[in-house]
Amino acid sequence: MANQNVERTEAQPSSRKRFDVGGRKPTDSNLLTPYLFMAPYLVLFGIFIVFPIFYGLWISLHNWDYLLPGKPWVGLQNYVDLFTPGSVTFEPFWKSMEATGKFTLYSVPLLVVIPLLVALILNQRFLGRNFFRTMYFAPYVLGVAVIGILWRYLLDTNVGLVNYYLGQLGLPDDIPWTNELPWAWIALVGSTVWWTLGFNAVIYLAGLQDIDPALYDAAKVDGANRWRRFLHVTLPGLRPILLFVITVTILASANVFGQAYLITEGAPGDETQTAIMYVAQEGLRNFKMGSAAAMSYVLALFLAVISIANFALFRYRED
Amino acid sequence: MERATARVEHKESRREPRELAILILSYAGLILLTLVFVTPLLWMLSTSFKTNLEATQLPPNWIPEDFTTEAYSTIFKTGQSQTPVLRWFLNSIVAASAHTALVLVTASMAAYALARINFPGRRLLFAAIITTLFIPQFVFLMPNYLIVDMFGWLDTLLAVIVPGAAGAFGVFFLRQFFVSMPHELEEAALVDGANRFQIFLRIILPLSKAPLATLAVLSFLVNWNDFLWPVYVLFSPKTLTLPPGLAILQNAYTTDYAVVMAGGVVASVPVLLVFILAQKYVIRGVSRSGLKG
Amino acid sequence: MSAGVGAGFVLAGCGGGPEDNPAVQQQAGAGSGKEYNGPKVKLSFWNGFTGGDGPFMRKMVEQFSSQEKNIDVTMNTVEWPEYYQKVPAAVSSGKGPDVAIMHIDTLPTNAARQVILPVDDVANALNLKKSDFFPVVWDAGIYEGHRYGIPLDVHPFGLFYNKDVMEKGGLDPDKPPQDKDEFMGALEQLKGKGIQGFWVPTVPTGPTWIFMTLLWQYGGELYNEDVTEAIWNSDAGVDALTWMVDVIKQGYSPKNVGEEAELIAFQNNKNAFVWSGIWNILPFRDAGVNYGAAPSPQIGSEKATWANSHNFVIPNKRGQDPHKIAAAKFFISWISHNSAEWAKAGQVPARDSARESSTFQNLELQNNLAQELPYVHFPPSVPGIGDVQTQALDPAVNEVLLFEKESKAALDESASQADQLLKENRQKYQA
Repeated sequence: MANQNVERTEAQPSSRKRFDVGGRKPTDSNLLTPYLFMAPYLVLFGIFIVFPIFYGLWISLHNWDYLLPGKPWVGLQNYVDLFTPGSVTFEPFWKSMEATGKFTLYSVPLLVVIPLLVALILNQRFLGRNFFRTMYFAPYVLGVAVIGILWRYLLDTNVGLVNYYLGQLGLPDDIPWTNELPWAWIALVGSTVWWTLGFNAVIYLAGLQDIDPALYDAAKVDGANRWRRFLHVTLPGLRPILLFVITVTILASANVFGQAYLITEGAPGDETQTAIMYVAQEGLRNFKMGSAAAMSYVLALFLAVISIANFALFRYRED
Repeated sequence: MERATARVEHKESRREPRELAILILSYAGLILLTLVFVTPLLWMLSTSFKTNLEATQLPPNWIPEDFTTEAYSTIFKTGQSQTPVLRWFLNSIVAASAHTALVLVTASMAAYALARINFPGRRLLFAAIITTLFIPQFVFLMPNYLIVDMFGWLDTLLAVIVPGAAGAFGVFFLRQFFVSMPHELEEAALVDGANRFQIFLRIILPLSKAPLATLAVLSFLVNWNDFLWPVYVLFSPKTLTLPPGLAILQNAYTTDYAVVMAGGVVASVPVLLVFILAQKYVIRGVSRSGLKG
Repeated sequence: MSAGVGAGFVLAGCGGGPEDNPAVQQQAGAGSGKEYNGPKVKLSFWNGFTGGDGPFMRKMVEQFSSQEKNIDVTMNTVEWPEYYQKVPAAVSSGKGPDVAIMHIDTLPTNAARQVILPVDDVANALNLKKSDFFPVVWDAGIYEGHRYGIPLDVHPFGLFYNKDVMEKGGLDPDKPPQDKDEFMGALEQLKGKGIQGFWVPTVPTGPTWIFMTLLWQYGGELYNEDVTEAIWNSDAGVDALTWMVDVIKQGYSPKNVGEEAELIAFQNNKNAFVWSGIWNILPFRDAGVNYGAAPSPQIGSEKATWANSHNFVIPNKRGQDPHKIAAAKFFISWISHNSAEWAKAGQVPARDSARESSTFQNLELQNNLAQELPYVHFPPSVPGIGDVQTQALDPAVNEVLLFEKESKAALDESASQADQLLKENRQKYQA
C-alpha cells in the first residue's frame, strides 16, 4: 500500500503541488478537523476576549452594580459625565489620566534611549556579553510586586538605602520619595526604568544583530565615523524595532498600576493615582462598573489614537 | 577592491588604541550598570536574614551582623496566619503551571490549524485573533470580573488560570513557527493515511520543542507575576497568589522590612531559577516578538 | 437631622422584603444566640482591625474559642479600604466570612445588596433593647424596618491634647479648651510662643469628619429630611469650612498638612491639639506622648460630634449551614457581653452595661469621650450614603483646605454633585 502511494506521488508531480497548497484532499481527515483543532482555544477566546468586548460596552451603558438586582439603563450618560466638568467622575478621571500621561511622558524617552545605548554597547564582540545581558534582563522577570515592595523599602524616607547613600554623597538624606512631589514621580519612573530597561535592551539587541554587517563595512570604506555610521546605518536599520519599542513602551506606561499601587499608593493625595488605578477603584471597589467600563473604553480609544499616530509618524518619515 | 580593503585595514590599525579605550570604557560602564541592577536584589536577600531592628538601622550592614531566619519563620508560619506565604507560593505554582499547560494545549492546536490547514474562514479568524493583541488589558477588567463571578470562580485559582489563556500571543507566536516548518513530513504522513491529529502529535509537536519551551517559560512568568487581576479577584488569605499576597504582606508588616523582604525573596527565587535555567528561551522569545512586530 | 429619621424612613423595596429571602427563612429557625448546642463548627470572622485594636479582638476571639469547645473561630483582618469590596464580593460568591464587623453607615448599603442578613432575632435573644444603647446608635442599624447590625462600639471624635506642649505654651495641661473662646485663646497663646497649635488635616477623610462635626455644631445638617438633597452648603456649612480655613490663615496651622502629618507632629511634640478619633488612644500611648483626651471642643452653638460604630453582622452566604448561623449569633452575643474588654482597644462600648462596668470606668480617656455619646451624629441610614460623601464631599473639603477653591463655591458644587449621586442611588437601589 505504501509503495503504491509513493509511486503515485512520484509519478505525478502535479498532485504534489496540490499537497503543497494544502488544499482539500480526500486523505485529509474530515472537514471538521481544523475546527476541532481550533475549538478549545476558540472557546476561551470567545468567552474571555470577544464576548467581554461587547459585554463591557453593554455594561458601560448602565449604572451597573453587580451586587444589586437593579442596573438602570443610562445610555451614554457615563461617557457624557466623563466630559462634563462638574460631574462626579470628571475631575478624578482626568486627574488620573493626567497622572498616567505624566508618567508616560517621563518614562518613555528614558526607556527608549537608555536601553538603546546599552544595546549598542552590548552589540560589540567581547567576552561576557551574554552574562551582562542576563544581569540587565533579570529584574524584568521578577514582576511588579517584587519590584514594588523592594523599591518601597529602598526609597523609604528614613531607613531606605537611597536616602542613606545620598546623604553620604553630601546630598539631602531625607527626601520623601513616596509621598511628595516631584520625588514620587522620580521614584515611580526610576523604579520602572530599572525594572524594564533590560527588556527593551534585549529587543534592541536582536534588532541590531539583524543589521547586515556589510552595511557597516561599506560605511567605513566611505569614511564614516562612529556617529555617522550610527545615523546612517544603525538607525535606519532599527526603524521597525524602534517603532515597536516606542509603541510597546507607550502602551505599557499607559497601563501603569503596580508601581503606583505599591510604592506611592497614589500619594500625595491622588497625584500619582494612575488611570488604571482609578478605573479599578471605581469599578471593582466602589462597584460602579458602568462608569468604570466607560472610562476604560475612553482610555483605550486614546491609546489607539496614539498608536496610530505613532505608526503614521514612522510611515511618514520613511517616505 | 584590494586597495579598498587595505585602506580599511590601515585605518583600523591606526585606530586601535581608540577602539581599546572605547572597549575599556564600555566594560566599565557595563560593570557599573550590572552593579546597579544586582545590588538592590542582594540587599533584598541580605535584609531578609536580619532582625527587624537591624533592617531599619543606619548605617546599613550589607552582611547581617545578627544573622537570623526569624523573618522566614514568620512568613512560613502556618495555622491562623494572616499572611501564609508558603500557601501563596503553592498557589502561584499551581496557577502558573495549570495556566501554562492550558496555553500550550489550546494555542498549539489552534496555531497548527491556522498555519497548516487551509479551511474556510482561516484568514478571517487569524486576522480577528491578531487584532485582539492590540486591545489593552484593562478593557477586559470589568466584563471578565463579572464573567468569572458568573462561573463561581471568584476567589478560586480558576479565576487566575483560565481567563489569561485566552490571550492571542501564544497562537500568534506558535503560528509563526509552524508556518516556517517544511511541508514534506506532513505530506508524507498524509499520504500514508495519517489523520491530522496523529500528524500533530507525532510529527509537529516533537519538532517544536524550542518554541513550545519558549512559550511555556514566557506563559509561566507572565502568570506568576500577574498583579492587577489577582488583586481584584482573589480575597481570602488562603487563595491568594504571591503578587497580591506581597501587597498584603507589605501592609501588614509596614515597617518590619525583614519580613517584607523575605516575602520578596520567596517570590523571586523560583522565577530567577526558571530564568537562569531557561534564559535562552526567554530572551529568544522576547527578541523574536520584537523582530516580528 | 438625627438618625431617628433612619427608623422612620422606609424605602420602597423591590418586590419582596427580607422575609422572602430563603436564607432568612432558613436562619430564622437556626437559633437565636442565647446558647449553642449544635455540632462542632468553624467560623470565619472578618474585620478590618489591622491597627492596634486588632490584637485585642484577637485575644477576645481566642478566649471565646477556648471557652466554647464547639465553635472554632478564625479571624481574618482585611484593610478597611479594601474591606467593603472584598466582603460583598466574597459573600456573593459563597466564600465570605460567617460573621463580620461592619461600620454602621455601611449597613444599609450592604443590606440593600443582600450581603448581610437581618439580626432582629439576635437582638431579641440578647434582650437588647433600645434602652440598652443610646438611641442614635440603636436606630442607625435599622434599614427598611429590620435590624442589620448589633452595635459593638461607638468611636467618636475627640480632642487630644499634648500636655507637654501645652505647658511649654503656658497653658494649663489639665484644662483642655472645650469651647470656641477657650480654643481660639489657646491657639493664640501658643502662636505667641511660636507653636502652631492645631494642624488642620487636608487629606480625606479626617478633615471631612471635622467639617461635619462643625456643620452640626453650627446647627446645620448634611441632608434634608428625606435624603433627596445635600444641604451642607447652607450658611452653617460655609461657617464651618471657613473656620477651618481661618485657622490656617491665622497661622495656627501650617498649610498643606500631609497625610496623618498632624498625628506625627503631635507625637513629636510639635503641636498641641489633634481633633481625631478615639482610635488614636493606643497609638499615642505607644508613642510615649504625654497626652489627655477630652470631648470635642464646641466651636459652634450646639454640642455635636462625629462618630461611627462597629457593628456585628451576619453575611448572607449562599447555602450557609444553619448551624454556623446559630454559632455566629452565639459568638456575637458572647463578645457583646464582654465588650468592656474591647474598650481597652480604644473604643467606647455600645452597650450601656459595658460602659457602666468598672473595667470601663477605669479607662479614663475612653470614659471622657464616652461623655459625647448623647450628642454623636451618624449619617442617615440610606444605601450608598458613604459613596456620596467620598465622591462629592471629600474632594470639596480637600480642595478648599488646599486653597484651590472658595468655601461657598466648593460646597455648592459638591452639593449638586451629591444630589445627582443620591438620585442615581435611589434608582439603582430601588430597581
